Amino acid sequence: MHANLIGLGALILVAGLLARFGRRMGLPTVPFFMLAGILLGPSTGGPVAFEHPEDLDILALFGLVVLLFHLGLEFPVEQVLGSGKRLYIAAGAYIGINIGAGLGLGFALGWGAKEAFVIAGAVGISSSAIATKLLIEMRRLANAETPVILGIIVIEDLFLALYLALLSPILSGANSAGELLLRIGISFGYLAVLFGVARWGAKWIGKVLDTREDELVAIIMIGLVVLVAGISADIGVSDAIGALMIGLVVARTSIRERAERIAIPLRDVFAAIFFIAFGTSIDVGEIGSVAVPVLIAVCITVVTNVSAGLITARLFGLNQRGAANVGLTVLGRGEFSLILATLAAGAGLDDRVGPFIALYVLILAVLAPILAANSKYLARIIPDRLLHDRWRYVREETISTACTHLDRINITETDEDECQECVELGDTWVQLRMCLTCGQVACCDDSKNKHATAHYEDSRHPLIRSLQEGDGWQYCYEDQTLVREPAGSSRS
Amino acid sequence: MGKGVRIQELPGLGTRYDVDLHSGSDRVSIVVGRDGKRHLYVFTQAGDEPAAVIELTEDQARKVGAVLSGTFFTD
Repeated sequence: MHANLIGLGALILVAGLLARFGRRMGLPTVPFFMLAGILLGPSTGGPVAFEHPEDLDILALFGLVVLLFHLGLEFPVEQVLGSGKRLYIAAGAYIGINIGAGLGLGFALGWGAKEAFVIAGAVGISSSAIATKLLIEMRRLANAETPVILGIIVIEDLFLALYLALLSPILSGANSAGELLLRIGISFGYLAVLFGVARWGAKWIGKVLDTREDELVAIIMIGLVVLVAGISADIGVSDAIGALMIGLVVARTSIRERAERIAIPLRDVFAAIFFIAFGTSIDVGEIGSVAVPVLIAVCITVVTNVSAGLITARLFGLNQRGAANVGLTVLGRGEFSLILATLAAGAGLDDRVGPFIALYVLILAVLAPILAANSKYLARIIPDRLLHDRWRYVREETISTACTHLDRINITETDEDECQECVELGDTWVQLRMCLTCGQVACCDDSKNKHATAHYEDSRHPLIRSLQEGDGWQYCYEDQTLVREPAGSSRS
Repeated sequence: MGKGVRIQELPGLGTRYDVDLHSGSDRVSIVVGRDGKRHLYVFTQAGDEPAAVIELTEDQARKVGAVLSGTFFTD
């Protein structure tokens, strides 16, 4: 055995140190793993850790398999199924706009139809790991838009499985349209079978896996995962899907928690090797030739993400801040883009696809955290009408459920039926409003004295409600929006 | 759940509990992560940005929780 242990060790160590350096500046890790591969790969003039990157293949492939297995394992099925129709529409809009724009770009580049589908996926599917880390680091977990962002990226993960099921047959090089359709049929049929196993067969799989000893659980589980991934690849569905689906199956067994604990360190190390190996396959000489397309792609991605953010904000009644945060947090691209790039390399597509995706991921890796952290500047220039042009109809249909000040509601009922200040002045009023923070009753903005608004300006208590019989709406001064209780919240 | 506590699922991350403190506009949000980590957000009247954010491991959270719930300790 003449394994290049020195090269492997150096690669992983450099990758880890580079990523650690990047984390200090709040940058995501995945692009740095890839960067280590590029720097120490055979195409740069500098030191070369691996003369033959293909020696890394089996480790890298294992990394891909555990990465997707873990993704399936921790996929929050219940939380996704329990989320409302609105979230699906928002996620659908996000995916549709991004994949659509990616397809447009892919075909416009003229590298070929297969290449276009790979590029569409690579620029269209965001990195859930990057977005989640950003939310934690930017201290936005308590924000109103955060559940929406997380919901979107989780649904994107699921979309990845469907996209891979579509892409593998396309890349496999079918000779006719009929053959292609047949292969797509097989691909989705296989996906359905694995869904069936996840739904009804998990108990039996659990019986095979469950022993008292963690050592044996780990070995049997990994064996099963790799086997299923291999079989999937063999029948023309990608190994990635097989791994993802078996993750969904194991997630429904009794060993789920132990499986997660075992899978995490494996995933961390071997997925890093996967990203490094991808880096070593990149020819630096090609990067110059893809720079312009990449810059265009980055601009398109920013625009499509902000648009999707605006659509989401309208659906959920978020304010400007929410819209900007949704658009700019989901900007990071990482693991999924690199998986697609690897698929492209494996299928022998245009050589420029790999460098294109590598550079694209690197640029967004730096750009995404910066833009997300400065989303407030975008929020300032989003005009009201983009979010609230339905205000006129709002009496009939209150739209917003995402006011961030609902927690300041302390009191909702009162016996008061006059505006005290108006009574003292001897004035009259048109309608009455009630402050939901302190309970003060005052006259509305159609009245002469506008005491309710004056009360807000004094006290900064954000929410009022109408005391008019049958009105039932609340208004938030801070968010300038009509609000009702968030769907699914329980205040009892 | 008790009065004034709102529950919000954060898909893939965990569950958020928003606790109303009934003193002006102070509130506390606690995110219990699937990985066991607790993220504690404290908001005060000052605005939308949290006044303090603390990340606790499961162990630390248990300790702080015990003290908060009035468990009696001696040296």
